[in-house]
Amino acid sequence: MRLNEFDYYDPATLEEAVELLNQKANGAIIAGGSDLLVALKQKLQTPNYLLSLDKIPSLKKVKFTENKLTLGSMVTLDDIIKSSLIQEKLPALKQAAWEVASPLLRYQATIGGNLCLNTRCRFYNQTSFWRSTRGPCFKTGGKSCHVTGTEERCYAAFCADIPPVLIAYGARINLAGMQGARTISLADFYNGEGRFPNVIAAGSGEILTGIEIPFPQTGVKSVYRKFRLRDSIDYPLVGAAVALKLDAQNKIEMITLSCTGTASGPVNIKSINEVLRGAVLKPEAIWDAAAAAAVELHPLKTSLVSPRYKRDISRVVIAEAIATAGGVTL
Amino acid sequence: MKKVIKLTVNGMEKELLVDVHSTLLDVLREDLGLKGTKKGCNQGECGACTVLIDGNPVPSCSLLAVKADGKDVLTIEGVAEAGKLHAIQEVFNEKGAIQCGFCTPGMILVTKKLLDDNPNPDEQEIKEAIAGNICRCTGYAQIIEAIMALAGRKQVR
Ligand SMILES: Cc1cc2nc3c(=O)[nH]c(=O)nc-3n(C[C@H](O)[C@H](O)[C@H](O)COP(=O)(O)OP(=O)(O)OC[C@H]3O[C@@H](n4cnc5c(N)ncnc54)[C@H](O)[C@@H]3O)c2cc1C
Ligand code: SF4
Ligand code: FES
Ligand code: FES
Repeated sequence: MRLNEFDYYDPATLEEAVELLNQKANGAIIAGGSDLLVALKQKLQTPNYLLSLDKIPSLKKVKFTENKLTLGSMVTLDDIIKSSLIQEKLPALKQAAWEVASPLLRYQATIGGNLCLNTRCRFYNQTSFWRSTRGPCFKTGGKSCHVTGTEERCYAAFCADIPPVLIAYGARINLAGMQGARTISLADFYNGEGRFPNVIAAGSGEILTGIEIPFPQTGVKSVYRKFRLRDSIDYPLVGAAVALKLDAQNKIEMITLSCTGTASGPVNIKSINEVLRGAVLKPEAIWDAAAAAAVELHPLKTSLVSPRYKRDISRVVIAEAIATAGGVTL
Repeated sequence: MKKVIKLTVNGMEKELLVDVHSTLLDVLREDLGLKGTKKGCNQGECGACTVLIDGNPVPSCSLLAVKADGKDVLTIEGVAEAGKLHAIQEVFNEKGAIQCGFCTPGMILVTKKLLDDNPNPDEQEIKEAIAGNICRCTGYAQIIEAIMALAGRKQVR
């Protein structure tokens, strides 16, 4: 598996980078490259050039202010894990970063690359030879999806670990394009589409420059829980991020739940707040709420496990995340 | 497209003309003849291609050579000094932590980084440090035992 030829540019300013991206056709942005290089080797993407963000110093900045953390998109996951302030203020972010890939990959993997991660499917993440035996599916330019057999859409699963946590924290992201800079909520960055899962993949011509994460109010507990087939190194089958706050009577004042691995984007389960607000956290209430939440997930057979298994596991992962955040033993 | 890059490889400065689509692994093995760095999966999963870049272990198959421009690279060939094996290599030999040897260069470099940062890791910390390095022979037991011995700890089983 060799790489096809391509050109390589590493401009020193964001302005040059945005201009290049919009002037030259068929480029791909490379951050750490941990995921992109695999996609290039498998010929899932065949860009004419790579645009590297390595030489733009502003993208590597980490800034703490009184009420939020701003991370440049090129901050590495290893930097996030080693930050004691992140551990203190945003523990679930550290946990999720720590669960990504392996220690080796985390030295190069960036947070921006994690947020922009492509969706995954057992028919997609294969070598070009493997794929050629079946012919292209919808995501690779064919007529129909090999998972559903018919439909003209893609259900590949979004499997990045960090986005659900940042959505639970209410993070916003900074994008830079030809029209200038804008800030949107991270939840709005994703469109739930398997083929082009986010604003940038869908062709906005922008670069993700930064992530703003507000510190939760005092008393909010946040947790990320991940289930994968191989514990040492693997994408999540399911990941659940929970942020919750208990009131003086130990009742739930507010709770947010966001999941990864089960749909073509992160899934924010809003109903969890209605189900659990005002409740005292007991194992029974947690299991009921987790079962109700899991029903809202509609996994398809995009990985090696059955959708039913995935839904069952989701229930357990969600219950464990809520219990850990609430300090309850299941 | 080609580019000139500067690398310090095992303490020696090199100026190289590389294809921008070459991985660091290919440059090390093919341009510099440093075949101690192994190509296993070639996609970031196995750690056989691990080298230390500015002291940090990175899978060289997942890094474009141009992205290593200006960096300090240590491969397994640079671990022994003046013809004498490094303590990590000695203990791996003694404890049978090497069978076919394919994972060994990566394991040794990861161990080096681990012990440089934390001379007394416990078993859990050792397992976490080698999580990105797959060994198909030893079942990991001897590798963990070797690192425990280096850390001066007794293994609890
Ligand atoms: C063996 C293996 C295991 C892995 N396991 C996990 C896992 O468990 N969990 C997980 O979440 N990920 C996993 N990954 C995927 C990946 O390593 C991480 O998601 C990583 O954080 C990606 O960051 P990167 O900087 O390397 O991204 P890159 O590979 O550089 O880029 C990824 C994608 O994002 C785009 N992109 C990157 N930065 C920007 C930007 N600033 N603006 C616009 N677009 C951008 C790129 O064009 C590309 O499409 C794994 C990868 C491998 C190879
Ligand atoms: S879900 Fe269907 S269209 Fe999408 S990658 Fe898988 S097989 Fe292809
Ligand atoms: S060959 Fe690089 S990680 Fe397997
Ligand atoms: S000794 Fe053979 S792979 Fe580890």
